[in-house]
Amino acid sequence: MTTTRIAIASALAAALLAPMAAQAQGSMEKCYGVVKAGKNDCQTATSSCAGTSKKDAQADAWISVPKGACEKIVGGKLTAS
Amino acid sequence: MPLALRELQAAFAVHVVGGERADLAGAVMGDSMSADARLRIYRHHVAYSLGSALAATFGTVHVLVGEAFLRRLVQSFIGQGLPVQPVLTEYGADFPAFVAGYEPAASLPYLADIARLDWALNVAFHSPAGRRLAAADLAAIAPERLPSLSLAVPEGATLIGSRYPLDRIWNASQPGAPADTVDLGQGRADLLVLRRSGDAAFIVLAVGEAAFVAALIDGKSLEGAAEQASHADPSFDLSTAFARLLSLEAFAALQQGAEGEG
Amino acid sequence: MRPAAGIGLRSPHLAEIGRDRPATGFLEIHAENHLGGSPARQAIERLRENYDFSVHAVGLSLGSVDGLDETHLGRVVELVKRLKPALVSDHLSWSVHGGRYFNDLLPLPYTEEALDVVVRNLDRLQEALGRQVSIENPSCYLGFAQSTLTEPEFLAELVRRSGCGLLLDLNNIVVTAHNLRLDPRDWLKALPGEAITEYHLAGHAVNDCDGEPILIDDHGSRVGDQVWALFGDALRRYGPRPTLVEWDTDIPALPVLLDEATRAERMIQQVRADAARAA
Repeated sequence: MTTTRIAIASALAAALLAPMAAQAQGSMEKCYGVVKAGKNDCQTATSSCAGTSKKDAQADAWISVPKGACEKIVGGKLTAS
Repeated sequence: MPLALRELQAAFAVHVVGGERADLAGAVMGDSMSADARLRIYRHHVAYSLGSALAATFGTVHVLVGEAFLRRLVQSFIGQGLPVQPVLTEYGADFPAFVAGYEPAASLPYLADIARLDWALNVAFHSPAGRRLAAADLAAIAPERLPSLSLAVPEGATLIGSRYPLDRIWNASQPGAPADTVDLGQGRADLLVLRRSGDAAFIVLAVGEAAFVAALIDGKSLEGAAEQASHADPSFDLSTAFARLLSLEAFAALQQGAEGEG
Repeated sequence: MRPAAGIGLRSPHLAEIGRDRPATGFLEIHAENHLGGSPARQAIERLRENYDFSVHAVGLSLGSVDGLDETHLGRVVELVKRLKPALVSDHLSWSVHGGRYFNDLLPLPYTEEALDVVVRNLDRLQEALGRQVSIENPSCYLGFAQSTLTEPEFLAELVRRSGCGLLLDLNNIVVTAHNLRLDPRDWLKALPGEAITEYHLAGHAVNDCDGEPILIDDHGSRVGDQVWALFGDALRRYGPRPTLVEWDTDIPALPVLLDEATRAERMIQQVRADAARAA
């Protein structure tokens, strides 16, 4: 084995002895649990006979601007207009 | 002459995504409520339900742009491509690319990467948990053979690299997040998204760690990955990084015969 | 399975049901929500120790003229073989055309041609599963001029030709009857009652359509009085069956849903007691 390879082997072997719990703490963002598992449920709440055509969607795409948590994301941002 | 069922379904398919088929209204019984009005209920439902599914899958995009903008964004996307199978959690793989090219969102250059993160979390969540590699599994292997080992990330895991601080943007978009701003100037983020036992999660990786994981995903051995990581970040500490990734259960358990030689 | 009242298992309630295991007749899941390997699917597999299950598909598109999607069918078969539910069902509707899915239960004309299509698809489904499947009457917002059969006649023919069961959704009868100007009691009378394997109950919304009220099957509220009354009629006419309360939009706290199922259970017990007295 080359010297590099020996160094890599011992670094990997040393990793196996490291205490585990301390490493993992605070490292992960919990994202979502089982509450998100139901997209094929029958959600029809706002169904009415109001029109929704291709033309509607295209015509008003530019009317609205993003308005949400993006207001908290600043810097390096292109200006909208 | 009534429409044959094949023609009727073809006409209905055009109608529900917003197209016009005059022959369809003629096939529908109207009374004080017109055939057109009745047909529009179905059109509205298709748009609403597919839009709601996308809004749920791309929850962080939703929070970032708000309800009104999101509804228009998803409607435009649905107009370009309906699901090709009926499972709604599997609908939207092309949405991040669509967001990247969506002109009205050009002022939010990070939005497409956030959509990739949302999608990766969704994929991970619906993937089997699978057994993970533990340090103890490797302890049985002679140390000199470790460098030639190939490791895989768990099924459904995705490595995402972005020019933008996706983890901070994601955190700022969570319910109850503080009003603090996120500065895009904080730079790039590399995230490993993976299934855990009860949910999906992401790990924020340092530059060297990300190069290490990317090389392993490409099929390189631990030795090759370590070299790639040192190249990406000269201060990369293999032992610390490997211990951290193992403790986070970032690798799938070894398959039989996965220990290569050479 | 016992003819008791159960609830639709929805993901916001999954943790609570897993922890408390409340008493209820059975649980019904939507097949398309649990085809992957998510933690929810694992939780459901654990619940099999305590509950009877019903698998209710929403995406097989039994009315599609092009036949069933074999890939999707295979996934549903795998789920059913794994969970071994007491009941399996989907709807009298279609939802895919040319390989594109609409996620809606779209209406069929009730013609001989459509009958042939649905029978062919049902035969394939029942063959693939190796068991009987029940078919649910849809909620309709329109009718086709070319229909030559009524909906109950169409369902009766399906039962006769394919040997399928009927999942009788009382809310859908009320919704369809209102929207298509039919009498729900006449609708109910015209069925082959012995084929009924399950009842569904749910709430609906009243929306405005060009100034006229239209009933929308939104599963977003308590079961309405008219639906409870029609359920009573069905119980007296056809007898008790496993009965499901569904709630999908604005999902309430679990006790509210269980309370609705308890009301259905009381009606089942009452009809059974009345029948025993009369005998």
